[in-house]
Amino acid sequence: MSSGAVQTAVPLPRPCSAARNVISFARREVRDAVSSRWFVLCTGAFAVLAVGVSFMSLAGSGSSGFAGFGRTTAGLLNMIMLIVPLMALAAGAGSIAGERERGTLLYLLAQPVSRLELLLGKYLGLGIALTGSLCIGFGLSAGVLAAKAGGADAAAMLMLVAFTCLLAWVMLSVGMVVSVVSRKVAVATGVGLFVWLALVFVSDLGLMAGAIVFKLRVQELFIVAMLNPLQAFKMGVIVQMNASLDVLGPAGMYASQTYGRTLPWMLVGVLLAWGVLSLAAAGVLFQRKKSI
Amino acid sequence: MRRRTVGILVCLLGVALAPAGEGTPESQARPVSDIVALIEAAPAGATVDVPPGLYRGSLRVRRPVVLLGHGQVTIDGGGQGNVVELLAPNITFQGFTVRGSGSGVDREPAGIRAETGPVIIAENRLEDVLFGIDLRTASNSVVRNNVVVGKDMDPGRRGDAICLWSSHECVVEGNRVRQARDMVFWYSENVDVRNNEVSDSRYGLHFMYSHNTTLRDNHVWGNSVGVYLMYSNAITLIENTMERNRGPSGYGIGIKECDDVEIRSNRIIANRVGVYVDNAPLSQGAFGRVHQNLIAYNEVGMLMAPSNHSQQTWNNGFIENEQQVATNGRGNLLANEFHVDGRGNYWSDYAGFDRAGDGRGDVAYVSQSLFEDLMAREPNLRLFMHSPAQQAIEFTARALPVMLPQPNFVDEHPLMTPPQVPGRTVSPGPTGRMGALCAGLLVAGALVMLAGTEPISRMQGARS
Repeated sequence: MSSGAVQTAVPLPRPCSAARNVISFARREVRDAVSSRWFVLCTGAFAVLAVGVSFMSLAGSGSSGFAGFGRTTAGLLNMIMLIVPLMALAAGAGSIAGERERGTLLYLLAQPVSRLELLLGKYLGLGIALTGSLCIGFGLSAGVLAAKAGGADAAAMLMLVAFTCLLAWVMLSVGMVVSVVSRKVAVATGVGLFVWLALVFVSDLGLMAGAIVFKLRVQELFIVAMLNPLQAFKMGVIVQMNASLDVLGPAGMYASQTYGRTLPWMLVGVLLAWGVLSLAAAGVLFQRKKSI
Repeated sequence: MRRRTVGILVCLLGVALAPAGEGTPESQARPVSDIVALIEAAPAGATVDVPPGLYRGSLRVRRPVVLLGHGQVTIDGGGQGNVVELLAPNITFQGFTVRGSGSGVDREPAGIRAETGPVIIAENRLEDVLFGIDLRTASNSVVRNNVVVGKDMDPGRRGDAICLWSSHECVVEGNRVRQARDMVFWYSENVDVRNNEVSDSRYGLHFMYSHNTTLRDNHVWGNSVGVYLMYSNAITLIENTMERNRGPSGYGIGIKECDDVEIRSNRIIANRVGVYVDNAPLSQGAFGRVHQNLIAYNEVGMLMAPSNHSQQTWNNGFIENEQQVATNGRGNLLANEFHVDGRGNYWSDYAGFDRAGDGRGDVAYVSQSLFEDLMAREPNLRLFMHSPAQQAIEFTARALPVMLPQPNFVDEHPLMTPPQVPGRTVSPGPTGRMGALCAGLLVAGALVMLAGTEPISRMQGARS
């Protein structure tokens, strides 16, 4: 990646140089993220919570001689659904808006790179940084489980890690959408928080109220609930653990019996759709918005 | 010289015949009339050793004999009707492999059907049969150490692995059942059911109008319902294990309109519902007792109809059930007792303390949860379990007591330690894989950290 290679690519951007530009931005983003206070704080908070939840959920099972990884997962699930979207949305929201507020966006876009390359590079870099942060938290949590529970299911834990990373990337792209339309970090973060509140609490609570008031049928309730990426994530993890959603009552049982083996793929599909569509929206909005 | 020749001949003959005795190719199959001829030739009560091999057809035993297969005799019904019928008392049928009954439910074809008792059916293996062992008015019989594997069909179309119909004073022990409908007891009293294993079936042990029975040391897992008692009185369950009975019913133990049921020292683990109680005890003055059990990791530890009354539940360990005790419909369980003689249950979510040091909490355990109350009203809301929204609702109810529902029940004397329940302890698996996962994740995290601290001056040079 010498200076010559980049400069020769200026007149006619080739895919190769585009990829190089994206990777350059990604590396810069990883470096910036890792050295930032935000990253250290998030990693620390997530690690402490993951380890704490693992310890607490194992404490109850110790007396009876069998360890329930399912309980640990249930505890971790709640914590993940609160913390990880918050981390990812905040990271995404701050990305482009931050450059814009500092005035560095002007500087970056003066370089021979396209807006899309900048966006993708930032996305990739933040995603990698987030993944690393989650890996550290889960690694410590797995260490606690290995030391205390022994027979805990490593494959199930790995599945949980994979799903959580997917959730982080999805929420990151939602955060990018917020970021490209915001002028200031404060605004972007505020909107990000609102999105977080809406996805984590408001939509579920509203759907619960709707289920009671409108007497929603199970299939309607399930489909509407599944469209929320957080619910899709939760159901995906539970399906991987239990091979069935019967933990989630009539609606879950309906889903398991109707969709069977395609259910996990449906849920992953919902998550991927959220991620891809959000990122595409961010790209389109960023290119349309001519102001810097 | 001559003796040596004879010896060599005998050896050769032995070598030639040996494979024929071990393997039973299709051409070697014999009709069951060969066995019938042996039975007819034997005096009553005699022992008949059936020669090893494969026999085809339906066997009807009409004389009291001891039939021994020594595990080397296979009787194949060829998919028609009953395979073996025991039509006389005092027959022993032991050590056979029985397979290929009919599959139409209208005539309930069975692997082994006994029309009269007492008979002894032991150490047989039954495969590809609709009903397995079917005792009809065969009192004082013994069904011991048989293995029954049902037909590979939809659960609703399968037959019962072991069925007792009006057969009293029987012993059913050490049987292993898989992929069947039920192990079911109809109108059969004083039956001793112990040490059986039932898995991947509909109802593991199913009692209909069968009174005065003890179930001991049975292990039922992966069924729709572990043990289902219906309209059966004076049943005692001791030291059984019910695990992972899930699905639409999904009860570890279900009790429907039974009097005098005692459930003691069982391990009820990871079922959808641990103990389901529907109108038990039913009669005035009858009891229903659940004590000394381990009820752990179920979605619902105990599910009771609000109309239920006088059920006594004490000295149990309720550990980490998603819902410890739930109401089936709106209402409460205050008509039931959750503490007897000053001893309640151990609740893993109990937040009280024991200053007196007598092993009992000084503050009552009160079951009241807004989300559970909402779920009792609208069961579909269980879809939102394990989510922050559920926590938000619970938090709201705690913060604003006006939102709290009426208590479901109150345990005045909660225990501080769970009871010791004998049983199999699950040995923890190897820690290696989890350790490897831990190391792998930490290395991945560290790599990202290192990538971040790597100088990228070249890249900056390119840009400037």
